[in-house]
Amino acid sequence: MAKITDITNQFVRDQIEQFIDSEVEQQHIIQLYAQATPDMQDIAAGIIDGQHKTVDCLTRAALDGGTAALDVMDNGLIAGMAIVGIKFRDNFIFVPEVLACARAMKAGMAHIEPILSESGIEPVGKVIMGTVRGDLHDIGKNLCIMMLRGSGFAVVDLGVDTSPNDFIAAVEEYQAPVVGMSALLTTTMPNMGKTIEAFIDADMRDDVHFMVGGAPVTRDFADEMGADGYGDSAIECVEVAKQLIGVKTERRTEP
Amino acid sequence: MNKKIDKAEYEKRINRITDLFKDMIVQADRQSLARCPYKNRLDQCTAKFCCQNKRKPRAEGELSICACKDGLDYRTAWESDPEAYAHVRQQLKEQRSSQAS
Repeated sequence: MAKITDITNQFVRDQIEQFIDSEVEQQHIIQLYAQATPDMQDIAAGIIDGQHKTVDCLTRAALDGGTAALDVMDNGLIAGMAIVGIKFRDNFIFVPEVLACARAMKAGMAHIEPILSESGIEPVGKVIMGTVRGDLHDIGKNLCIMMLRGSGFAVVDLGVDTSPNDFIAAVEEYQAPVVGMSALLTTTMPNMGKTIEAFIDADMRDDVHFMVGGAPVTRDFADEMGADGYGDSAIECVEVAKQLIGVKTERRTEP
Repeated sequence: MNKKIDKAEYEKRINRITDLFKDMIVQADRQSLARCPYKNRLDQCTAKFCCQNKRKPRAEGELSICACKDGLDYRTAWESDPEAYAHVRQQLKEQRSSQAS
């Protein structure tokens, strides 16, 4: 049975002792980390601490040093997120910290993506995401992006207050088949419809599928404005994106 | 040079990450019923928009403090029109400075 002293990284040891109460869970995590090399533990520590620059550098160094990409994922990135999940579940950290950890994970994954590509593994799909013009609320969108990336999608994040022209430019630049729009305010919700209209005006409506979401957005409203998909949670967002890409593929094969 | 990645093995990792993140989304939903999702563990506000619960930072350069009492509906404090909010703040500032002089 592995002991906490088998883990070389002091920060990881402190995190386990400080934040994991259940003995069974603690033992499971100790077992996971005890088999990880010190450099993998360092990557995991960077994830737990939400340090994207650290994770970026350490992941690059590990891959350059010959560590297999899947080992980096297992013993560095995923191991780190396992502790983040426990801390979040038990209310030691909150959404902003989780998003920082997800950003750190993305920094690590960015070095693995070229290896995936060389191995013939392409992203599930490409999605452009943004909060619509006039709206500065981004937590929902950021959680959706976290879920999409975690599910293997490539995501282009346009941030907040995104104008219809910014969405159009992004679709042209990245050739993404799906655009996800978010709004939290009833006052900015109509800007989703205006963005879709801008795509019609630019003669680009058939090039993309729109999925929409946000607290005040309903399925009826989504249908009314001409969106192709609606999700009421970040989990649904992934399913909707997958469905839309499936629809797109079928349409493309039509004679 | 790194070895190629086996697709099936990679998909196992993606499934594991998806499961981890799904649990986090459920927890985020649960937490947001009582606590503003923009409020970090240090009770600072990470929102890019104006909110009536924002208070002066503890130190210069730090994020504003969130004064929201957890459990109350924090959404009513969110400003839907940042420009209007900035305008009112400016008016108040001018009023105070004219009163002081």
